[in-house]
Amino acid sequence: MNITWKFKLVAAGAAIMVMSGAQAQQEIKIGVIYPLTGPLASSGAEMRDALEFAADIVNNGLKGVPELPFSGGGGLTGLKGAKIKLVFADHQGNPQVGATEAERLISQEHVVALMGSYNSNVTQTASQVAERAKIPFLNAESSSPTLTQRSFKYFFRTTPHDELFVKNAVEFLKDVEQAKHIKIGSVATLAENTLFGNEAAKLQLKYATAAGYNVVKQVSYPAKTTQLTSEVQTLKAANPTVLLQSSYSEAILSMKTYKELGYLPDMLVANDAGFADTEFVKTLGKDADYVVSREVWALDIGDKKPIIKKVDDLFKARYKIDFTGNSARSFTGLMVLADAINRAGSTDPEAIRKALVATNLPASALIMPWKGVKFDETGQNTLGAGILVQIRDGKYSTVWPFDLASRDVAWPMPKWDARK
Amino acid sequence: MTAELLLQTLASGVLIGLIYALVAIGLTMIFGVMDIVNFAHGEFLMLGMYSSFWLFALFALDPLVTLPLTVLMLFAFGVLLYKLVIRRIIDAPPLSQIFTTFGLMLLFRGLAQFFWKPDYRTIENSVVSGSVHLANFQLGRPQVVAGIGAIVVTTAVWFFLHRTKLGSALEATASDKEAARLMGIDSHKMFGLAWGIGAACAGAAGGLLSTFFPIFPEVGANFILIAFVVVNLGGFGSVAGAFLAGILVGVIEVMGGLLIGPQYKMAIVLALFLAVLMFRPQGLMGKAQ
Amino acid sequence: MKRSTALLGAAAVVALVLPFVVKDAYWVNLAVLALMAAQIGAAWNLVGGYAGQASLGHAAFFGLGAYTSTLLLTNFGWNPWLGMVAGGLVAAVLSAVFGWSCFRLKGHYFTMATIAVAEIVQIVFTNWDYAGTAVGLSIPMETQGLAAMVFSDKISYYWLALGLLALTLLATWAVERSFLGFYFRAIKDEPDAARSIGIDIARYKQVALCLSAFFTAIGGSLYAQKELYIDPGSVLSTALSIKMALVSILGGVGTLFGPVIGSVVLTVIEELSRSTFGGSGRGTDTVIYAGLIVVVAVFYPSGIVGWFKERAVRRQARRDGATAEEAHAAAQAASALAAPTHESTGAVS
Repeated sequence: MNITWKFKLVAAGAAIMVMSGAQAQQEIKIGVIYPLTGPLASSGAEMRDALEFAADIVNNGLKGVPELPFSGGGGLTGLKGAKIKLVFADHQGNPQVGATEAERLISQEHVVALMGSYNSNVTQTASQVAERAKIPFLNAESSSPTLTQRSFKYFFRTTPHDELFVKNAVEFLKDVEQAKHIKIGSVATLAENTLFGNEAAKLQLKYATAAGYNVVKQVSYPAKTTQLTSEVQTLKAANPTVLLQSSYSEAILSMKTYKELGYLPDMLVANDAGFADTEFVKTLGKDADYVVSREVWALDIGDKKPIIKKVDDLFKARYKIDFTGNSARSFTGLMVLADAINRAGSTDPEAIRKALVATNLPASALIMPWKGVKFDETGQNTLGAGILVQIRDGKYSTVWPFDLASRDVAWPMPKWDARK
Repeated sequence: MTAELLLQTLASGVLIGLIYALVAIGLTMIFGVMDIVNFAHGEFLMLGMYSSFWLFALFALDPLVTLPLTVLMLFAFGVLLYKLVIRRIIDAPPLSQIFTTFGLMLLFRGLAQFFWKPDYRTIENSVVSGSVHLANFQLGRPQVVAGIGAIVVTTAVWFFLHRTKLGSALEATASDKEAARLMGIDSHKMFGLAWGIGAACAGAAGGLLSTFFPIFPEVGANFILIAFVVVNLGGFGSVAGAFLAGILVGVIEVMGGLLIGPQYKMAIVLALFLAVLMFRPQGLMGKAQ
Repeated sequence: MKRSTALLGAAAVVALVLPFVVKDAYWVNLAVLALMAAQIGAAWNLVGGYAGQASLGHAAFFGLGAYTSTLLLTNFGWNPWLGMVAGGLVAAVLSAVFGWSCFRLKGHYFTMATIAVAEIVQIVFTNWDYAGTAVGLSIPMETQGLAAMVFSDKISYYWLALGLLALTLLATWAVERSFLGFYFRAIKDEPDAARSIGIDIARYKQVALCLSAFFTAIGGSLYAQKELYIDPGSVLSTALSIKMALVSILGGVGTLFGPVIGSVVLTVIEELSRSTFGGSGRGTDTVIYAGLIVVVAVFYPSGIVGWFKERAVRRQARRDGATAEEAHAAAQAASALAAPTHESTGAVS
């Protein structure tokens, strides 16, 4: 048990340091649990970059963007200029590993709060640990509605969840019907058979049916599949006007299969995830055009909201890629958490929790197209919003809500042989 | 559900089945000659895909053009792996062998992620992109080419085994290691050869797949279960069996998915697989137990 | 033998004293993980190690246990203690189906069939609405305490896991010493001889499987009560099946404490490498973990316990005046008794 003694010493030392607050340049640790390896690791890497970027801004400020919190520099002014330090952990897509890492970050690293975990099933277990340990857990990207249905006191979610996103998609269909004077009769869903796809498909059935659409087929496929032939042929046979799709990495494979088998509905409305990944457009090139996806963020909103463009430019200069919906949310999540810690003026988790509850950030301080950040009693941000984008010429253009749109939605998608 | 749709699905099933067959042939050779369950076989596939990718990304060479090079590199890799690791576990208990190849599987995946990052890569605009139109059918051209490639490689392997001296030596070692040794055949050379060919076949499958399937460190996981099923179904050690079983599995998977439901497609394959084993415990063309 | 009893005694003392010495939640949690891995490894060992039936589909039983107790709790308000036993019984009964479809097969065919059965079970649960499909099931956290088998501290889970492990090891020990143990060993090492003296091989293979399934399922219920969330990927995956076998293989199949040693080693390596290197995201921890597995598998094929036994036999032989080669051969012979027989599956054609 030698190791235990060493850790106990270090932990004791760290605790003394933290508690005495003797140094002005105090370090405040925030545990960050994301998929850094495994199938979603490329998303994990993007979010990690965004988080480091945000942490840097919190600690050192950012010139030229005065509306952004902490841009003036000087660290956490409410804590005598303390700096935040991110401690990363890899959950490898495994709920039990996520929970174990949460335990480790709490008891070994003495983090004051946790952030994570992208995968909804890992967020479930990791936030469970945080709740039991009474440590605030801020979730910025997981979309499963059940996460805020657990009556947790320490769980806070800045991102809207799938219930809202699916509602958006259906509203979008209705708006398009009106604007283009068309009738969308039938709808089908294609979903990856995991927590994400499964829940989305159930919600899509519920809201689409309620809106009067005929859901003719719900196709689900196993995540690690080698081909999507049966799925596409089934869709071909069902022939829906609109296809609602929820896929991670098979987004690319599915588009290729559509092209190879000569299938395309009038419109494909995707549920973010794989369709928002940088690889999607890079790989498919022109074949990705006209796909509509629900999103949380798009670069062109920067035309209407300059802060988005400014921050993205700075991010791109450092990391060579633009923000995506995922990384923009991670960035925002850390900003919200840092803001709360700052207002709490203390590293006591209870004080941070209270500060989070009192959060009221205005839209102008965010790089998201949201009305602000304010949590309800379940810990859900009620001022979030979703958008819909369409890929045109390899770029994501906002097409809904119409008042935020940068261009008109092209409907229907031109068939494969009608392109180029 | 028109007849045309069914036929087109059937054709797709045969094509993907041919890929399964190619992966399985390598695996069945390793089983047949040295009785080792190679959990890391999917990683040979993955390495073949990456080989194609890097040659494409760095030298702008089409995967079809670099396929022979990929095959050679994977062959060498297989032989090297045998010499460094597998040679030591030839006589180990079977569970130990499983443990080793399982560890190798994790190791290769980990190394691939370490060196090449977890991002998904694809080969865009290969010579074989697009579709093939035959009468009312539309099939992906990469899949058709991959299918043809699989047939070519399988035939080559079969010829090697049955028409060359080296191939007969390999067969002899598989039937009876001791007797073969008494006749002057070096078992270790044969094992190394089997491992090399096994890796090369999977590598070829990878090269052919890379024209239409995304490339990432864990891609082996998508194919390994199917490869095992195919090998078992065809009968351990039978190249012809693996070929037949591969096509069968491809067709069952795709047709089953279409007719019953894509979420059950693997369950259907596995259930039929178990059913066959009920009546033929040695698989379709394996040696009777 | 004396030395090993002393070591066992020491290990038992450590296990009992640990929660009083180590208060840190993280380390206690690690200990719990190790105990849980040991328990299911020991459960697997009953049929995989002692009876020599190397199943790689045991996650099916783990998942059946987890789902049974959770569904009984959330849908019918059943007490988890009862649910756990119910889960064990369900798994034991359903293991008959498992055995019926797999036991007539030999060698690698058998192993592959077990994988196939477990995969089918996972697909069924992934698509079964009643069982929560891919979304999974949650256990509420509000009611805590012994009756509810939900605790906010890790130490209570430690005692629970230790208790279940002790139970499983006790069962293994009892089997080892009884006629069942004799039959299992006979089935593993000399099936033809066993048949000729009238042992019903099929029946006793099934008995081994039933016992193994029962204890594996109990481990599944414990997992559910600890993590409070289960989904097909976490309790029914083939990766889990392999880990169960791995733990025993690493420690030494067919030995009482093999799974315990194997699980401690594996858990420590896994956790240490991930906590040290995992944060970088390069996957260094996976590489290290995998590399160590390969090294141990290649150089210590009889597992850790087996290696110690061989060493002891070798030493004894040397003391008795044997040469180095003779001692080595004696050690090999000793270890051959511990490992399952190698059934050839045919030639290449």
